[in-house]
Formats: sequence, structure tokens, C-alpha cells
Amino acid sequence: MSKSSLIAGLIGATSLVGLSALGVQAQTSGEPVKIGAIVSVTGAGAGLGGPERNGLLLAEKDINAKGGIKGRPIKFIIEDDASNPDTALSKANDLIFGQKVQALLGPSLTASTVAVGGVTHANKIPQIAFTGIGPAVERERKCVAHVLPPQRLNATALLEYAKSIKANKIGVLHDAGYGNVVMAELRPLADKYGVKLVAVEKFEIGATDTTTQAAKVKAAQPDAVFIIATSATPFRNVKQIQITQPVVAAIGSSSYEYVNAMGPAADNIVIPEFVVGEDPLPHQKAFVELFKQTYNSTPKNYEAAAWDAAHIIAAALNKAGADATGEKLCEAMKAPYTGVLANYDFSADDMTGIPLSSFIFSKLVGGKYTRTPFRITQ
Amino acid sequence: MTLSLVLQALFAGVTNGIVYALVGMGLSAIFKGSRVINAMQGEFAVIGAMTTVLLLTKAGWPYPAAIAGGALSGALVGAFIEVAFVRFMARKNASEDSFLLLTIGLALTLSASVLFFIGRDGHLLPPLGGEGVLIILDAVIQFHALWLIAIGIGATLALRAFYHRTTIGLSMMAASIDADGAATTGINVGRMRTFTFVRGGLLGALGGILVTPLIGVDYQLGLNLTLKGFAAAVLGGLTNPLGAAVGGLTLGLVESLAIIGISSSYKDVVAFSVLIVIMILMPQGILGRAGRRGG
Repeated sequence: MSKSSLIAGLIGATSLVGLSALGVQAQTSGEPVKIGAIVSVTGAGAGLGGPERNGLLLAEKDINAKGGIKGRPIKFIIEDDASNPDTALSKANDLIFGQKVQALLGPSLTASTVAVGGVTHANKIPQIAFTGIGPAVERERKCVAHVLPPQRLNATALLEYAKSIKANKIGVLHDAGYGNVVMAELRPLADKYGVKLVAVEKFEIGATDTTTQAAKVKAAQPDAVFIIATSATPFRNVKQIQITQPVVAAIGSSSYEYVNAMGPAADNIVIPEFVVGEDPLPHQKAFVELFKQTYNSTPKNYEAAAWDAAHIIAAALNKAGADATGEKLCEAMKAPYTGVLANYDFSADDMTGIPLSSFIFSKLVGGKYTRTPFRITQ
Repeated sequence: MTLSLVLQALFAGVTNGIVYALVGMGLSAIFKGSRVINAMQGEFAVIGAMTTVLLLTKAGWPYPAAIAGGALSGALVGAFIEVAFVRFMARKNASEDSFLLLTIGLALTLSASVLFFIGRDGHLLPPLGGEGVLIILDAVIQFHALWLIAIGIGATLALRAFYHRTTIGLSMMAASIDADGAATTGINVGRMRTFTFVRGGLLGALGGILVTPLIGVDYQLGLNLTLKGFAAAVLGGLTNPLGAAVGGLTLGLVESLAIIGISSSYKDVVAFSVLIVIMILMPQGILGRAGRRGG
């Protein structure tokens, strides 16, 4: 092949590649629409913020590939709050007043969400938090939406599963942070479900051994054991002292990080959650496939929550216009939305609107997630 | 409260106590030999355990070799820290507070390095003696925990023999009690301090490797172990490595018995109240005076 024909061939190939890229990707042009995002990439909340950032970056690519916001590209300015509410607040101020973002996504943790909500609420900037609704003040903030379920819903899902396996006597192992918050909702609900909490044992966050607490739960002879924690330790201890009753875990433990740390104990544990990447629901398949191609790993709930938040704000911008005021964007957001994680309705009182029927129940079998057929019908 | 529950609490208390003791013994061995309160003692455990995990899973070494490699890595890091940092600071007569700040800084740096290079994930090691358990009156204890207890007691006795029976142990003790006096009799005080750190690193790494099959290891484990180990060491008398063993067992047992006796919600309140009372009644630690005699 001569030199000139080689060059001609190369030019031809390049233009073909260019054409095919054009065919798949819609072109975006003009000034980017800026959206701020605050996640905890470092610090105690890094297990949430890391996955959320991956979800956001993937969503940004996806939204722009599909035409952006009325032809303009969307741009997420992602900041790390180091799991600290003060840092979250100063980052929010910078994003809103310095960078002039249209809306804010995040933060990852409840304390930071409450802090940032004070600014977004006062300045009518739409916010979609990667947390469940927390203290009462958040109910008054009608433009701070939440893409994760409130703890009351998590507690209800645990009890629904207990009811389905006819477990009336429940033992609980919970940590002093996340576990305490869920327990506060679980106690009053248990009566309603006719469930008796025969042993409720607490351990500190970061505890390296909870064997004695587990032994007390075992001694109370429950029909099933709830574990509400963000650590692998209680799961290992429960298996070590040979508790054979079914173990149901709250969504806080549903990450690969914890499951890997459970080792052989990651077996026969049921978790009410939303995304099982190994066996996604039909409407979750496209997201899961795209995620796997991009990151070479399997997504779980937090990746999906961030992806949903990004698409919800994009949909609102497309509806209300790229330069719409915060108030208009808020109005545009207040509609039912079918996301990858769940079905939301931000006009609901809890600023989430996730129904119990959005929960799926995964089961760890030999360290692998499987999806059980059990769903809650409302 | 049933007998089996009490027995289960005793098993858990002794197992945890030995872990606290191993960390505490390393801490007090270093304090004894160099007057440095080593806030990175728990990081030695993380280094030892993580090295063992990597040698076993990534390099494919046989388990005993990986354990030896992990323990050695703790010793080497200990030596490095003495040669690279402590030696220079000691030459300039750095105060105890400066050394404390140094080790706190090193603890944070090492924990961040583990996070950066190895990642957030927790890792487990295979238990010694397999997954088997011993069941007495419905109370369960892993074979591995029995190994841990046996090795922990063995290490304690070996440490005692080392201080009392070997020339190098006696030299280390002399160098720590009176550095100038030791130097005039021909003891190389600087080298003794390096050995002190080597042994502290070795003990810490050994503790980390032994505890990993039970509780797993991740980048955050170090600080947790340091705090409990420090409590154990102070409780037993900081200048006496044997005291750390007694302190560790006391702490472990008080913690687990508080859970069954009162409530898991008040575990730390009860455990630390007991510690405060002990410290008021015995300000030198449980074995404080024995420590003065050379422990």
C-alpha cells in the first residue's frame, strides 16, 4: 500500500468514526447549565459519597449524550464535604453564590443535608439530597427533595419481611448511630405489626466485637434477628455464635464493602433495598449495564440514587427551561418520577414519595446478592 | 441471666482482652524503652495484618510464610520509625509531647496510606485451626480464639523471660531506666531504642495478624486498637508490659460482663467507670509497683 492511499484510508476511517459518533450522540452546544453537587468522598461517609460521585458522573455523560438541557450541555460541579456539615455549608455557599449553580444535589449525610437545606431553602434553590428525610425542620423545606427512603420506611420494610416469614419475636442488634435512628422508628411500629422485640442490643460505632450482645439476642430465642448497622462486625458475630434464625439487615449494610468484610458470614441474610446489580429489575437493566461498562463494577443503591437525582433535575430543567428560576424548577420537580432506585413523588409530604412497593428484598447467598421474589403490595 | 450467657461473655471478654493486651504490651514496651507514648501502636497491627493479607492473596505465599512476613513488616516499620524520626528528635532532646505528636501524625499518615494504596475494603484471614468451634454449655468459642489466647499468653511469658533472662533484654531495661548510666557501662543506648521499636512493631503486627480472622482488618482499625490498648496499658501500669496483659484482660472482661449484667447501652459507661475507680485506687496501675522493680 502506498503512502498516499494509507493516508486516504486513514482519513476515511476517521470520518466514519466521526459519523457514527454523531449518529449516537446528540450534539450539545452553548453555555453549560451548571448544577452543584456535594458528596462525602472522604471521611466517615466516603462509603456513600464515592458511589454517589460515580453515579453523578455517569448521569452527566448520559444526559449530555441525549441532548443535554434543550441542546445545552449540563455540567455537575462536584465538591467533597469530607463528611463534615460545616464544610458542606461553605461549599454550598460557594456553589450557590460564587458559581451561581441552578440547583444543588446532595449531600450524602443527614447532618450535612440539614445544614445545606438552610441555605437552599432560604434562597429558593432546588435541592435533591442523597439522604432520607431527617428531623422535623426538613418537612417545612418544600424544595429539598430526598431520593432515599425515610428511616420510618426502612423500619416498615424490615417489619413487613418479618410478617411474611411469620416471625413475631424479634431480636435486634443495632449500632449507636444509624441503628439508633432506625430503632426510634421501629419501636412504635413494632406494636402496630404485633411484633414483640424480645431483645434490643446496642453497640458503639466501629465496635470490633459484638459477640456478647449477639449472645444476649440468642438467649432471648427470637424468631428472627434484625441487624441495623453500618459495619460487618455484628454479621460475623451472629454466625460465630451460631445464631440459626433468619437474619434481616437494614439497607445501611447493603454495600459490597461490608459484604466483602463479612467473609463466610455473608450468607442467608435478607436485606430490604432497591438495586441488585446481579439481577436487576427490567427498568434498572439499562442503568446497570451502562454502569458496568463504564466502571467495570456492579452498582448498588447509592449509585442509582445519584443517577436518579441527576436525571430528575435534568427533567425539571427540560420542562421549565434551562434558565428557569428556582421556584419554577421546584414546581417542575413536584411530579411523580419513575427512577432506577424507586418511584418518587416529590409532592408527597415526606418530600420523597417512595412507596413500600419500590423495595426489593435481596438475599446474600455465599457472599453474593440474589433477588428474592418477595415484594410488598400496597 | 443463664450460665451459658455468662460463659459466652467470659469467652468474649478473654478473647478481646488478649487483643487489647497484645496492643497494650507493645505500647508499654515502647514506652518502657524510649519514653515515647506510641499512638500508632494500632497501625502496627494494621500493617502486619494487611501485609499478611497481601502476601497470602496477591503474592500467593503459604499461610505460615505470609504470617512471618506480616510480623516482620511490623518489626521493619518499627525500626524505620526509630531510625528515621525518633533518633533525630531524641538527639535534640525532644519532649514526650513532641514524640506523642509525631506518633499521632504517623498514625494518621499510615491509615491514609492504607486507604489510598489498598482501599476501603475490609479483609479477613483464614482462622488458625479452621472454622471449627468449641461448644461448652451452648456457649461458643472459635478454635481460632483459643489459638489467639494461647499465643497471647505465650507472647506475654516470652516477653517477661526476654526482659529477665537475656543480656539484650537486660540491656534494654538498663538503657530505659538510666540512659547515661547504661552508656557508661558500654550499652549502645541508641541501638537498644531501635530494638525497642522493633519489638513494639513485632508485637503490634502479631496482634493484628491474630485478630484479623475474628474481626477483619481495614484502614480504620488502627485507632480503635490503639485506644483500647492504651487503656489496657495504663490500667496495668504503663511502664510494665506484663501490666498491659492484666489491664487488657480486666478491660475485656469488665466490658463483656457489663453487657450481660446491666445493659449493652451502658457498656462503655460501666466499663470506663470501673477503670476510673481502679485508677483512683491504684494510680500506678494494677501492677504499678511491680513495674518499678523491672516487671
